[in-house]
Amino acid sequence: MINSNEIIDDIANKEYEFGFTTDIEMDIAPPGLNEDIIRFISAKKNEPEWLLEWRLKGFAAFKKMQFPSWQHFKMPELDLQALSYYAAPKKKVQLNSLDEVDPELLATFEKLGIPLNEQKALAGVAVDAVFDSVSVATTFKGKLKEMGVIFCSFGEAVQEYPDLVKKYLGTVVPHSDNIFAALNSAVFSDGSFTYIPKGVRCPMELSTYFRINAQNTGQFERTLIIADEGSYVSYLEGCTAPMRDENQLHAAVVELVALDHAEIKYSTVQNWYPGDKDGKGGIYNFVTKRGICKGNASKISWTQVETGSAITWKYPSVILQGDYSEGEFYSVAVVRNKQIADTGTKIHHIGKGTKSRIISKGISAGRGDNSYRGLVAVGPRADNARNFTQCDSLLIGNECGSHTFPYIESRNKTAMIEHEATTSKIGEDQIFYLNARGIDTEKAVALIVNGYVKEVLNQLPMEFAVEAQKLLSITLEGSVG
Amino acid sequence: MLTIKNLHAEVEGKQILKGINLEIGKGETHAIMGPNGSGKSSLASVLAGRENYTVTEGEVWFNGKNLLDLSPEDRAREGVFLAFQYPVEIPGVSNLNFLKTALNEIRTYKGLPAIEGRDFLKLTKEKQQLVDFNANLMNRSLNEGFSGGEKKRNEIFQLAMLDPQLAILDETDSGLDIDALRIVSNGVNKLRDAEKSFVVITHYQRLLEYIVPDFVHVLYNGRIIKTGTKELALELEERGYDWLKEELHLKESV
Amino acid sequence: MTSDITLPFYQALTTDVNALSTCQAQDDLQGIRREALERFSVLGLPTLKTEAWRYSNIQRYLKEFPYELLYATTTVPASVVAQAAIPELDCYRIVLVNGQLQADHSELPTGKGITIGALSAHTQAPGFTKWFNKQHHLAQESLATLNTALFADGLFIELATNTVIDKPVHIVHVYTAAQHAFIQPRHLWVLNRNAAATIIESSVHPDANVVTFANSVLETVVEDNAELWHYNIQQGDQHFREVHTTAAQQQANSRYHHFNFTLPGTPFTRNNLSVALNGSYTETNLNGLYIANGSQHVDNHTFMDHIMPNCNSNELYKGVLLDSADGVFTGRILVHQEAQKTNAFQQNNNLLLGAKADINSQPQLEIYADDVKCSHGFTAGQFSEESMFYLRSRGIGEDAAKALMVNAFSHDITDEVKVPALQHYLQEQIAAIMNN
Repeated sequence: MINSNEIIDDIANKEYEFGFTTDIEMDIAPPGLNEDIIRFISAKKNEPEWLLEWRLKGFAAFKKMQFPSWQHFKMPELDLQALSYYAAPKKKVQLNSLDEVDPELLATFEKLGIPLNEQKALAGVAVDAVFDSVSVATTFKGKLKEMGVIFCSFGEAVQEYPDLVKKYLGTVVPHSDNIFAALNSAVFSDGSFTYIPKGVRCPMELSTYFRINAQNTGQFERTLIIADEGSYVSYLEGCTAPMRDENQLHAAVVELVALDHAEIKYSTVQNWYPGDKDGKGGIYNFVTKRGICKGNASKISWTQVETGSAITWKYPSVILQGDYSEGEFYSVAVVRNKQIADTGTKIHHIGKGTKSRIISKGISAGRGDNSYRGLVAVGPRADNARNFTQCDSLLIGNECGSHTFPYIESRNKTAMIEHEATTSKIGEDQIFYLNARGIDTEKAVALIVNGYVKEVLNQLPMEFAVEAQKLLSITLEGSVG
Repeated sequence: MLTIKNLHAEVEGKQILKGINLEIGKGETHAIMGPNGSGKSSLASVLAGRENYTVTEGEVWFNGKNLLDLSPEDRAREGVFLAFQYPVEIPGVSNLNFLKTALNEIRTYKGLPAIEGRDFLKLTKEKQQLVDFNANLMNRSLNEGFSGGEKKRNEIFQLAMLDPQLAILDETDSGLDIDALRIVSNGVNKLRDAEKSFVVITHYQRLLEYIVPDFVHVLYNGRIIKTGTKELALELEERGYDWLKEELHLKESV
Repeated sequence: MTSDITLPFYQALTTDVNALSTCQAQDDLQGIRREALERFSVLGLPTLKTEAWRYSNIQRYLKEFPYELLYATTTVPASVVAQAAIPELDCYRIVLVNGQLQADHSELPTGKGITIGALSAHTQAPGFTKWFNKQHHLAQESLATLNTALFADGLFIELATNTVIDKPVHIVHVYTAAQHAFIQPRHLWVLNRNAAATIIESSVHPDANVVTFANSVLETVVEDNAELWHYNIQQGDQHFREVHTTAAQQQANSRYHHFNFTLPGTPFTRNNLSVALNGSYTETNLNGLYIANGSQHVDNHTFMDHIMPNCNSNELYKGVLLDSADGVFTGRILVHQEAQKTNAFQQNNNLLLGAKADINSQPQLEIYADDVKCSHGFTAGQFSEESMFYLRSRGIGEDAAKALMVNAFSHDITDEVKVPALQHYLQEQIAAIMNN
C-alpha cells in the first residue's frame, strides 16, 4: 500500500505531458504595449476603422486601471511591456482544407490528441485551432455553412460578417470591464466566432483548441458566440501550452449571447502548462467569460475542467436577463504543486422565473491553493428566481489550501436560494473499504475522485468527458489516479 | 349542504376537472373512487382552496355561500375540513399550539370567545380518546417524525377537534396497514352523525368496508361517470375500472 | 486614509493629536490608546468600499447628527432600569449607564473568587494586565481600535479558578444623553480555569429625542475547562444605533455559547463577533436570530478562528426580514494548518417576508488543514407553500399562520436557550412582533 507521503510526492513530481514546443517559423511583433502595436495588429489583420477605434478605447480604459487586490493569492508582478502582443505562424496562406495546413502544425495537434482528422470528423466535431492566437484551420466549414452556421476565426468574421461582429462585440464584456478584458480588447489577435441562425440546432459539437507556443508572448484570443432565437449550440474549448521557465499570460475574453429560447453549452478543458513542482513557469490564465441570456427562456451552461495554469483566475458568468432564462455552472478545478486557482461564477438574476444551478468541485493537492468565489445576485424584478449552489472541496495532503467565498444577494422575497459547501478529505474508511475489496490505494483514490467529480463530467459531451477524465488521472497520477 | 355544478379546474395549464356535478346532503357519506390520475385528489384540493388550482368554470355552493370566493382559512372556518393525503411536517410548531390557534381562529370567526386553557385541554383529552390518538404526540412538533399511520390519525384527531360540517378524506387509507386502517376508520365512524357529511376519496374498496358510504361515485378523466350505492364499490373491486371506461367510450362514440 | 473627515469627533482626533488628554483618559493606558489611535488612522472609518462593510453604510449613520463624544457620568431612576426586567428571571443585576457601572440599582454577585466592577477601577487586576486588548482580531476592525483609543469605562468581570456564579447575571445597559452622543463602552470578562457563568445582556433607551450611537467592545476570555453562556438581546430603540464588537478567546477544553438576538427597534446594528480558539478540545456554539422590520439594517459579521486542533464549532444564524428590512450575514471560518481534526459547521437561513426586504450573505470557508470536516449552508426564501396551505386549511388566517411559522423558524435558536424564563421571554417577544 502506498502511504500518503508517497502519494503526495508523486503528485508533486508529476511531469507535464504536453510540454513540447513546436519548431515553426513565427511572425512575432516586438515586445511592448503601446498604441503603435495596437495599430500594427489592427493593420496586420486588415481591420476596419471602427474596430481599431474600439481597440484604442480598450487601451485607454486599460491605462486607467489598476490590478485588482481582492484575490485570495499574491498577484504576480506582470511586466506587460516585456511581452510580445502578436505571434503568428509565418506561412500566411489561405487555408481551405486540412491538407494545406503546415504538416508540423498538424503533427503538434496530433501530439495534443486534437481531433483535427477524419476520425473526429466522423465523430461530428468541427474544429477551429488557435495557435498562438491565430486561427489555423476550421474544418467542416462547408457543411456548417449549408445550415447557415457561421464558425470561423475571429479575424475572418471581422472581414466576412462585420455587421454581426459590430453588433455584438463588447456587449457582454465591455472594453472597460476589468483590466485584463481591457487589455484583451486592445490587443486581441484572433479567436473564434460563432453564429447559429434562428431555429437551427447545430448538428455537431463546435470545438476550438488553443495553444501558446512562442516564447514571451501573451495569448489574447476573443470568442464571440451568438445563438439566435430557438437555436442550440454546444461549444468545446481545449487549451495547452509548452513547458517554459518563465510565466506566460493568457488573457482571453469569451462573450456568449443567447436570444429567445436559444441554448448555448460551453465546455472547457483547460490544461495550460502549470509550472514545475517549485512553481517555476506556467501560464497565468486570467480570463473573462460571460454570457447573457438576453432572450426569454434562453439557457447558458458553462462546464469547465481546470487542471492547468500556474494561476487560474476566472469567473464564467451568466446574466439572466430574459424571463424564465436559465444559467448553469459546472466546474472541476484541480491544483497541485504550487498552482493557484481562484475560480467560480457570477449569476445575475434579472428576469422573472430565472433559474440557476452551480456545482463546483475543488481538489487541492501538493501546495496548491484553490478558491471558489461566486456571486448569486437576485434583483428586485426576478420574481420566483431559484438558485441552487453546491461547492465541495477535497483536500489531499496538509500543505494545500481550499477556500469558499460565495456572495449571495437577494432583493426579491419570492426568490429561493440555497447554497451548500463542504470541505473534507478522502475518507480513510472509504479507501480501506476499497482496499478490502482488493483495490489498491491508487485506484481507490481514483475511483473516489471520479465519483466526486462525476456530476460535472456528466455535463461534458461524451468524448470530452473521457478526455477530461484522462486528464484528471494524469494530473493526480500516483495517488488520485 | 354542498352543491358542485359543472366544475372545471386546471393546474399548470392542464385541465384536470372537466365538469363535475355533485350534491351532498347533510349527514351523508359519499365515496369518490376512480383510477389514478382521474382527478380525485384534485377535487379535494379545489374544494379546500389550494392556490395552484384554477377554477375555469362552474360553481361550488356550501350552505348557501359561494365556496370558491373564500380563502382556504375561511372555508375551514365555514366548516370544510380536508384530511390531507400527505400531511405536512412543520418542525417547531407544536401540535398543541397549532390546534389551539386553529380552534380559536375558527371560534373568533364565528363570534365565539377564545377557548379557556382548561376547556381546551379537556376537549383535547376527550377527542384523543375518541379517535384513539397517542397523547405523547401532542407536545411534539406538528407531524414531525410521525409515522404514516400517526400522521393520518392526527388528521382524524384534528377533524374531531375542529368539528367541521363537511369532512373530505383524501386517500386517508393510503399507506396504512390493516390495523391502522381500522383505528382510523373507527375514529371517523364515531364522528359520523346526522349533521356531518363526509366525502371519502379512495382508490380501493377496502376503506369502504369500514366507512360504509351512502353513495359511491366513479371519477374518470375529470368527470363523474357513474353513481351508485355501496354495491358499486364492490363491483369495482371485482371488475376494476376498465368496463366502466369501455361503457363510457361506447356512450361517447354513439 | 479613505474616511469622510466631516465628522466632528473624527476631526477633533485628527487635527489634535492630544485629543486623548481631553478624553478623560488620565489613566495608565495612554500607550495602548495612542497605538490604537494610530491604527485607527491607518484603517479609517469603514466605507462601502471596505470589504467587510460592503453592505453596511455606517457613514450614513455617523453623519446623521453632530454627535458628541460622551464621558460625563449620568444616573437614571430605578423605573428606567425596571423596563429591562425579564419576568420570572431569578438573577443578579448589573446596571451600566453609557457603560458606567451604577451600583445603586445593581445587585452584584458576591463571593470568593468573583471580581466585578468598573473596568477603570481594575486596570491593575491580574486578568486585566494579562488580557486587556490582547486579541489581535480587534486591531482589524477600525471601530474597535477607535473604542480602544477613546473608551471611558465598562464592566470588568474576573472569575477565579473554580468559581461558578450560581445565578444568571443580567447586565442592563442604559443609553441616555442630553445631546446626540457617540458612546464607547469597553468590557472585559475573564473566566479562569473551571469557572462558569451565564450572562444576559439587554438595553434600555429612556430618551425619546436624543440619538445615541454605541460603539462597544467586549473581550471575553474562557480559560481551560471554563464555560460561558452569553446571551445578548438587542431590542434597542428608534433613537439608537449600534456597532457591537465581541472578541472571544477560548483555551483548551473550554465551552463558549454565544446567543445574539436582534429584534426590531434599532435602525442600524452591526455585530462583529470573533472567536479565537487558542486551545484544543473546545466547543463553540454561535447562535443568532435577527428579526427586523421597517427599514431596519442588521449586519452580523462572525469569524471562527480555528487555530488549534481538535476543536468543534457550530454556528447557526437565522433571520426574518419584514417590510423593507436589510439583513447582512458574513460568517468566516478559518482553519489553520495546525488545526487538524477540526469540525466547523455554519448555517445561515433567512425568511424574506417583506416586499422590499433584502439579504446579503457571505459564508466563507478558508481551510489550510486536510483532516477536517467543515461546511456552510445558506438559504433564503419564503415559507413552504404547502405548510402555509396546511395551516390555512385548518382555519388559521394568513397572519396567524405566518406568526406560527416564524415561531417555528426561530425554534432552533430559542430552544437552545437554557434559562427557562429567558426562553419564555424571547418567545413572547417574537410572538408579539409577529402579531403586531
